[in-house]
Amino acid sequence: MKHALPFTLLTLALAAPGGAEEFFTDRIAPLLKQRCFECHSHESGKMKGGLTLDSKPGWAEGGEHGPAILPGAPENSLLVKMVRWTDADHQMPPKDKLPDEEIALLEEWIKRGAPDPRAALVKPPPDADWWSLRPLAAPAVPGAPDLSITHPIDRFIRARLAGAALSPAPAADARTLIRRVTLDLTGLPPTPAETEAFAKESAASPLGQDGSSPAWLAVVDRLLASPRYGERWARHWLDTIHFADTHGFEHDVHRPNAWRFRDYVIGAFNQDTPWPRFIQEQLAADTLFPADTRLTAALGFLGAGPFDASAEGTAPAAYEYVDRDDLVTQTMGAFVSTTANCARCHAHKFDPITQDDYFSLQAVFAGVGKGNVAYDEDPATTVQRRQWTTVLEASDTIGPLQPEVLLTAENETLVTQWEAAGGGREIWQTLSPDLYTPAINSVLTRLADGSVLSSGPRPDTETYTLTVSSPPREVSALRIDLLTDDSLPLKGPGRLDNGNLHLSGFEAWIFRAGGAAPEKVGFTRALSDFDQAGYAAPTLIDGDPKTSWAIHPRVGEPHHAILKPAAPLTFAEGDRLVVALQQLQGGQHLLGRFRLSATAAPAETLIAVPAAAQAALLTAREQRLPEDRLALAAAVLQERARQELSRLPAQVQVYAASAANQAARGAILKAPQPRTIHILKRGDLDKPGAEAGPGALSAVAALNARFSPADPQNEGQRRAGLAGWIAHRDNPLTWRSAVNRVWHYHFGRGLCDTPSDFGRMGGVPSHPELLDWLAVWFRDEAKGSLKALHRLIVTSATWQQSSALPPPPASAAQPVTTLAPHRGGPDPQGIDPDNRLLWRMNRTRLDADSYRDAVMAASGRLNLTMGGPGIAHYNASPGPQATPVLDYAGFDWEAPAAPRRSIYRVVYRGIADPFMEVLDFPDMGLLSPTRGFSASALQSLTLFNNPFLLGQSTHLAARVAGTAPAPAEPIRQMFQLVLLRDPGAGELEEFTALAQSAGLPAVARVLFNTNEFLFID
Amino acid sequence: MHPPSSPHRHWNRRQFLNHLGGGFGSAALAGLVARQSAAGAPATAPALPAFVPKVRRVIQLFMNGGASPMDTFDYKPELTRRHGELLGPKDKPEGQTGVSGAVMKSPFAFKQYGQSGRWVSSVFPHQAKWVDEMAFLMAMTSKTNVHGPASYMMNTGFLLPGFPCFGAWVSYALGSLSDNLPDFIVLPDARGLPYNQKANFSAGFLPARHQGTLIQAASPRPVPDLFPPDKFAFAGGGADRQARAVLQKMNRQHLTEHPGDSRLEARIASAELAAKMQLSAPEAFDLATESESTRTAYGVGQAVTDDFGRRCLLARRLIERGTRFVQVWSGPQGAVNNWDNHGNIEAELSPIAASVDQPIAALLGDLKQRGLLEDTLVIWTTELGRTPFAQGSLGRDHNGGSFVTWLAGAGIKPGIAYGESDEFGGKAMHGITQCYDLHSTLLHLMGIDHERLTVRTAGVDRRLTDVHGHVIREILA
Repeated sequence: MKHALPFTLLTLALAAPGGAEEFFTDRIAPLLKQRCFECHSHESGKMKGGLTLDSKPGWAEGGEHGPAILPGAPENSLLVKMVRWTDADHQMPPKDKLPDEEIALLEEWIKRGAPDPRAALVKPPPDADWWSLRPLAAPAVPGAPDLSITHPIDRFIRARLAGAALSPAPAADARTLIRRVTLDLTGLPPTPAETEAFAKESAASPLGQDGSSPAWLAVVDRLLASPRYGERWARHWLDTIHFADTHGFEHDVHRPNAWRFRDYVIGAFNQDTPWPRFIQEQLAADTLFPADTRLTAALGFLGAGPFDASAEGTAPAAYEYVDRDDLVTQTMGAFVSTTANCARCHAHKFDPITQDDYFSLQAVFAGVGKGNVAYDEDPATTVQRRQWTTVLEASDTIGPLQPEVLLTAENETLVTQWEAAGGGREIWQTLSPDLYTPAINSVLTRLADGSVLSSGPRPDTETYTLTVSSPPREVSALRIDLLTDDSLPLKGPGRLDNGNLHLSGFEAWIFRAGGAAPEKVGFTRALSDFDQAGYAAPTLIDGDPKTSWAIHPRVGEPHHAILKPAAPLTFAEGDRLVVALQQLQGGQHLLGRFRLSATAAPAETLIAVPAAAQAALLTAREQRLPEDRLALAAAVLQERARQELSRLPAQVQVYAASAANQAARGAILKAPQPRTIHILKRGDLDKPGAEAGPGALSAVAALNARFSPADPQNEGQRRAGLAGWIAHRDNPLTWRSAVNRVWHYHFGRGLCDTPSDFGRMGGVPSHPELLDWLAVWFRDEAKGSLKALHRLIVTSATWQQSSALPPPPASAAQPVTTLAPHRGGPDPQGIDPDNRLLWRMNRTRLDADSYRDAVMAASGRLNLTMGGPGIAHYNASPGPQATPVLDYAGFDWEAPAAPRRSIYRVVYRGIADPFMEVLDFPDMGLLSPTRGFSASALQSLTLFNNPFLLGQSTHLAARVAGTAPAPAEPIRQMFQLVLLRDPGAGELEEFTALAQSAGLPAVARVLFNTNEFLFID
Repeated sequence: MHPPSSPHRHWNRRQFLNHLGGGFGSAALAGLVARQSAAGAPATAPALPAFVPKVRRVIQLFMNGGASPMDTFDYKPELTRRHGELLGPKDKPEGQTGVSGAVMKSPFAFKQYGQSGRWVSSVFPHQAKWVDEMAFLMAMTSKTNVHGPASYMMNTGFLLPGFPCFGAWVSYALGSLSDNLPDFIVLPDARGLPYNQKANFSAGFLPARHQGTLIQAASPRPVPDLFPPDKFAFAGGGADRQARAVLQKMNRQHLTEHPGDSRLEARIASAELAAKMQLSAPEAFDLATESESTRTAYGVGQAVTDDFGRRCLLARRLIERGTRFVQVWSGPQGAVNNWDNHGNIEAELSPIAASVDQPIAALLGDLKQRGLLEDTLVIWTTELGRTPFAQGSLGRDHNGGSFVTWLAGAGIKPGIAYGESDEFGGKAMHGITQCYDLHSTLLHLMGIDHERLTVRTAGVDRRLTDVHGHVIREILA
């Protein structure tokens, strides 16, 4: 084998140039194929170092180290360096150096310019014959082995068992079944009473051969209707999409609004939201269902993963790229069980996914960024908000007023009503100040009309303090008029050269005659006839000296603002009103001439009427000029809109991803455009190729893999496009993925045992026909109802099987671990040791959440309050930077909210709860479609000594203490609460001794540590 | 198929452990090895090692924050010559916190030490005496200039969270040398956790028991649940022994009734291990049993060196007792008390350097004197380097372009340096190494072919070294 090409042949080849193509085809192609393709070709599925040698573009573009061949320059070609074994880093093929003749042949070929007629293999042929990509078609339910079996799942399973000469295990006993189904569907154990009742009913009417009985169906329906069901199954979904309550990475801070997504998921499961709808809501509720704003919480899906605040700030390009990658990975893994991210650097090695597909998926998410998204909890609020916001925008004096909004019959009626209520005709009484003092060095003069004029030096900032000695008895609002004066620049009303001013605060105090401490007036509303853009009147009462009201460019004309207190002010004889006009913006933005006044008219009708509207008010309605009507409507409706908006319930927020958050470092863009996504050569940000538009996987033949949104710049339509592609009835991946995931959580293992990867690197389904039958049934019969699917599964005899190994033969003198033939047949452990054929039920261990919840259920401490902000199981103190220091060990488990269900705890991505960790709660930096199993010394120590466990042991003991005879009855009751059975005689003896020497809580502690409690048979 | 790498490639793990003569009996091992984790990863790796291992245990000293190379081990006279010149990039590079200032010379004097003539700055007078035992990687680079991803890279080989760290892989691949202590222990700075918090010590998709066990060395309860809190009168002491006996009896009876499930056995075995750990751990953590001269050598009792010195001493005690991998961190995350010296190199680097220098030298001396350096490897490293240009006028910004790592002990060619940065120390030029190369070298020294230590998860055969990594043979003895 060493000398594949005899010397003579080589000589011939070199001597006879022939056609360039022939030379390649006859000499080079076979050599490359024989020597290199094993690691560098599409046909082997291996592209080590990113290099393929099966096409010209393959070697011309090269792999991680650049082009492999420089035509005409063998000395500079990496491939030649490699095959010559130049040094330790350059040795190819790695095992055996090529014979010198072959090296010479390659050198010669490259010297001749490396002619290579092979076209590029642009993408691997979409392999539609891979099981997960095949179109869905319901296979016939097998007739074998026994037509009397009615449950379709059992028919599929038994047919395969029969084929392997295996028989199914008998049904588990009643106690095992009710514990199994209750934990499976709700994550909590049944109560002793529920267990007892079901055992009695089962004894009276046992499960039929079809896996159901009235008692069983009643239990299943009760559990599926319980809110505990949603809490249980939401946890599975949150694992799958790596949802946590904190960012992770360097600045691992809490997301106080992430929990609304968790509550959304719980609600979606409890309401049995059909699966396609569940997909659509999480990817694009805002675009697809804009009317139902509650669904904004579903967008938390897009914000589920980690967020590197540090990288976002300092390395934004790289951050965005990997953040989008994480979102693509999460979405495709969770919904269609595909590892699309493997195609980031090159076409997927094993699955028919091109780089083009991958970057099309990145383009779907090119317009969103992670952050808080605000929304109304009640959709009716949104309707109102939208209506009044439209009015507010239409009446904004900065832009042109919008008559089509303001002069509708409906809105004109509101104006008429306002006039009828006395609006615009209120009387303002001038408040001529007795004292008027500047804080710095302006010179203030009181004029005859009660106004005050400022002159003299122009300090950078100022505050004028005015004292009014005899204000009116009742004041519903105060008003400040900014007046023009010939002495002011451009006639004012400000003192700046351009006539402008910045009034940053309007504060008022009442000094009562008795001399008590002054009362500060609390204003709730501030409105004006005109606002400079970015300097609106409400800043007068926001307490912030850096924000202010200004009137540029409408200088040289008067303006005014009205300030409304929460309730009318009342003054008695001798009371004084003191007003401070703060001009703290700086830059000599000072008031020039101004006047204070007050009214007693009803505050709700008061508006700051602009001059044009004032003209309308003075004219009979039918004689008003159109522009005056518009000005009046704008003034009235603007204030009405502000009042209405302020009365609406406050918006809530969810941590999600949206267009509003796409701008880096907190800046919100008004009309964000999706970023341009390029196909990156070898996934390298520095090597952008062609642009990619939104799309998905071209290997799903039935669907169009490139989306054409009506508005290419509307990022929401991109997400909606992906939601439509995933949720499509003809997307075989989606339906197979969903039923397989559900199967996984019921059996401890999916029919395909890699629930988020249906590619060639994933598992192959043990029962492909059953998987397809379930997928079609779930889509067509169950209409995407998960509850229907659960019901179907847990009413199968397959699911109800015992998890026990078959008993040893009666005559066995061997140890129990040596297995006997199965029920007279062959040894199932020998034939199918992993139980892929389901000849029994899989035993599973309580996961971290179920363990914790089950302990609290037994101790009686479990608090079933649903929803709301997460419960922290740690004490937090400030850390050196944004990330706090968490103390889990010092947490007080007696705190009232502590015993809530585990789904409601705050999951800290980077600082995991050690108690949950030892029970294999996954690292939430990672998508976790399955939970792991581990047994370690630390786990033993934690379950034996952790204050949570010991505290619950104390509670359980207290729950049963006082029952007689002690300690037998308390022990019996603890056995019932933890293990759902009475103790055996020997056990009672052992535990009695323990209780007598260490106390009843010691009994509870041991029971909580038993394998019988930790495992589900 | 892989070529035969050594005559021992067919060893299975148990043969390997027996060969090493580790104290861990095969019966206990069999009990602890669960069949298969539901996560898809077998509980332990198959068919290792591939090479005869030279290293049985590792102590890694991790300087959190980006230890400046040109102020410690990478002497650059060009910085002095061109001090003050504006040679840096005009725009702020990705990952730097500010724009680059002028070239800045090191405020510290450098001298040559040892037979090897390595240059060391005045911040490390004690380590300088050990340069002839060290092999330096002078041109390490990172793919990022940001702490979080850079820390992930150096610990897990990936920029993103969710991957197992080196210690977890080693625990997974090689298991325990001892049945009394965890395989992989992390000793964080008493002032706080590093960037990424505990995620740097994660087992990722490997079974959770391979993750780093965090020991708060300065805490009165270094392992939180080693013993029950005093307030629970029914637990502790004799009550524990009785309760455990009842538990084990009940679990054994349960096992008899539920045969053939190794997970049930694993829990019983781990409860036995837990009892042993209760006996051995307090002794391991008790530095009082060390001689006064040893404690003094490590700087225990001196304010500057006390915390790091204690943890170095503890690291020695742990590896002596069978822990495979101990990671000792210097500096918490944050703006102060670590190696992230943005503001003022002279003022900020000097104290953190002084806090580790004497303890590290003492650790090397102690390991050598006890013969432990024969099969123990010590690694000094950080997650990224710093700019040759000033930040402000006295500090240095993040720079993944070049940084220094040294290794000392088993399997290492002493007194050499591999790789070279550019004239300013900001960019790796020759003999460039990345985390993948360091990790593949470490695994090689422990007898593992980094390309063969794989676990399939989410559709990919994952390795510590991703698709990269070359064993740095130049530094191997």
